[in-house]
Amino acid sequence: MDISRREFTKFGCRVIIGAAAGTAIIESIVTNSSASENSPAGEYDWNEHYWGYVVDTRKCIGCGRCANACKLENDVPFDEPVYRTWVERYRTLKDGEVKIDSPNGSIDGFIDDIPAEDIKKAFYVPKICNHCDNPPCVQVCPVGATYETRDGVVLVDYDYCIGCRYCIQGCPYGARYFNSEKKTADKCTWCYHRITKGLLPACVQACPVGARKFGDLKDPDSIINKILDEERINVLKPDLGTKPKVYYIGLDREVR
Amino acid sequence: MQPHLKRAFTLLALVIIAFIFVRALVVPASFGQYGWYRGDSVEDTRNRPVEYAGSISCGEENCHKIIYSVWAKDRHKTVNCETCHGPSEKHVGNVRIMPPPANDSRDFCGLCHFKRAARPANFPQIDPETHNKLKCTYCHSPHKPWFI
Amino acid sequence: MMENLIWGYIYPNEAEIQWSILIVLYPYITGLVAGAFIASSLYHVFGKKEVKPVARFALLTALSFLLVAMMPLLAHLGHPERGIEIMFTPHLTSAMSGFGYIYSFYLIVVVLEIWLSFREDIVKLALNSKGWKELLYSALALFSYDISEKALHDDEKLAKKLAIIGIPSAAFLHGYVGFIFGGIKANPWWSTPLMPLIFLMSAIVSGIALLILLYIASMKLRKHAIDHKCLQSLAHYLWIFLILDVVLELLEIISMKYESLEEIEIINRLLSEKIAFTFYGVQLTMGIFIPFILLLLAGIMKNRQTLKMIMISVSSILVVIGVFAMRWNVVIGGQEISKSLSGTLTYVPVFFSREGVLPAIIILVIPFIILRVVTYILPPWKDMEEESE
Repeated sequence: MDISRREFTKFGCRVIIGAAAGTAIIESIVTNSSASENSPAGEYDWNEHYWGYVVDTRKCIGCGRCANACKLENDVPFDEPVYRTWVERYRTLKDGEVKIDSPNGSIDGFIDDIPAEDIKKAFYVPKICNHCDNPPCVQVCPVGATYETRDGVVLVDYDYCIGCRYCIQGCPYGARYFNSEKKTADKCTWCYHRITKGLLPACVQACPVGARKFGDLKDPDSIINKILDEERINVLKPDLGTKPKVYYIGLDREVR
Repeated sequence: MQPHLKRAFTLLALVIIAFIFVRALVVPASFGQYGWYRGDSVEDTRNRPVEYAGSISCGEENCHKIIYSVWAKDRHKTVNCETCHGPSEKHVGNVRIMPPPANDSRDFCGLCHFKRAARPANFPQIDPETHNKLKCTYCHSPHKPWFI
Repeated sequence: MMENLIWGYIYPNEAEIQWSILIVLYPYITGLVAGAFIASSLYHVFGKKEVKPVARFALLTALSFLLVAMMPLLAHLGHPERGIEIMFTPHLTSAMSGFGYIYSFYLIVVVLEIWLSFREDIVKLALNSKGWKELLYSALALFSYDISEKALHDDEKLAKKLAIIGIPSAAFLHGYVGFIFGGIKANPWWSTPLMPLIFLMSAIVSGIALLILLYIASMKLRKHAIDHKCLQSLAHYLWIFLILDVVLELLEIISMKYESLEEIEIINRLLSEKIAFTFYGVQLTMGIFIPFILLLLAGIMKNRQTLKMIMISVSSILVVIGVFAMRWNVVIGGQEISKSLSGTLTYVPVFFSREGVLPAIIILVIPFIILRVVTYILPPWKDMEEESE
């Protein structure tokens, strides 16, 4: 071996600098991804809850008070065609044609523009973000600006979202929209600011007929678990494997 | 290695080191606290102001106790106060801030009670063409609808 | 007005098309980059001597388009100032998160590749010029002027290695753009594993076609004779990749129609009413079948160089337009069907707006200006002129 001291020092320096740079990279990745187990500050402990939502389509009267309350509670641009929740109307005509609509997301209610004698079957279906357990919107966010909390709610970080709208493309349910004021993606939070204070989501509270139910899946006595135990329920687009946490009673095959 | 290549690669290494340095400075401290997101944003979302106070806050503290007990016994008890009266959390916090007056128009009642094909048949509905054309509240108290 | 644009039922939040013409431009431009780079590696890696005249020019073309590839994205973002987050905290489950790193890596590879293949010229220019030019070229040479035979040989070896890395990264750069669409299960028009391959093939096709056009145009501008052997060879590769491209594109449609899943009704509606002209007319007939036949004829014809050249350039123009239509049909077409699968909507491009046609045109013109500047600083034809002198 014929290595001069100078060359050896040079080589050594290179190894040290390289190793330092390498550890810096690895460390910056590892420290950020190691998830700590504690909860955000405050008396609410997100490890003790796991939220779920039930829609009873048989009860919905299509008054649209849910969609209205949602916009007022969550500061959703009122006059723009963007909705965190809305109600759809399905009407099967006597000739077999299925007509679906949701004028202004149901906020102004519905008007019968087809005479009742032409209609075979008709019903309303409230829609809302499904807060999927396997959320495609979270999967596709390129920067980590949307995420599922420990208590099962999918949220958007408005101060971090770059506004690429990939999540809007990725959501199979049309539950996301682009907030033209914030210039970011936006969506239903299940009123996270309310449920973590013991209140109900605004849409659930506004529903006059109890078609929307909200509760804790971790609490065996919650209204949600009672319904899930007793009723025959389904979710929207189950074949996509998104594992929604909005469960439907009386879901018709036409509803997608 | 040729000196020009050495220079090129040193330049590249400097750029990469500068990038790592800037990244460490810029990425928010709470990023990655709970997962691949900014941990503080959970708190940010929780701290949004509440607009709908809930009916219970209307009945407590003697404010609207009488009308509350009337409402709570009758058929409209499933309809929360703010569904008609509008979001009132600010009013609960400060009685001087009044919510807008409740909408008592015929069309507003009709949002629920006009006959619609898609509504469950057993839900109370009227045909707006044949039913009495007066304002609903002349006959029906919204708090006690069968009070005529 | 709005009513006529919407048919059937769309989810209320879908009333606005989210990804505009700028997002059509993005895969189009990266496609041109990937294609031009692969064309240059035909010489650098596979040693196809006949495409040598355009090899260095192809690299400069790739660089010029690469430099603008991210502009349509930045112009589209709601918060362009936060765009760098994609580098700082890339969320690795997202196909899009790779953008920052793949793009940067590829930029480094292309710049190094160009630097190595132009270094001899740069050093000579540095030594033979005065004033700011001397400074510019000296800086480009990194103030190291060794162009001995050994140094150049080492450069060439490294350049070949880089080109070998460059091919998969060019393929990756564009394949992953295809996956951005292909991995979206919510959208039946996008969701197919063939998407990255289709994107890659059409990228190569568009890159070679663009290179042919730019080569002919610059030879005409410089009043220089066209190397017909080189042109023929490029046309030959264009023809081969056209076949691969059309096979994949038809396979996608045929399997969708044959399997006839739940979404077939809305896909059929999309194909027959929304994008019938741009898909069957522009993308398939004008963009693939006509150039395919023209190139075939040009390939079997003897002599008649001028006619061949016209046929090849017409095919290239058609291909470049056809691939743009393909990007349009994917990006816009996919958004013109509702995810409720029971309605369609229509994208109406706006001219003057941040996401309108005007910025799209500007962004599409910029790479040609960059190319003009870059070829001024680093003349790619120099070695040829010396040969012909």
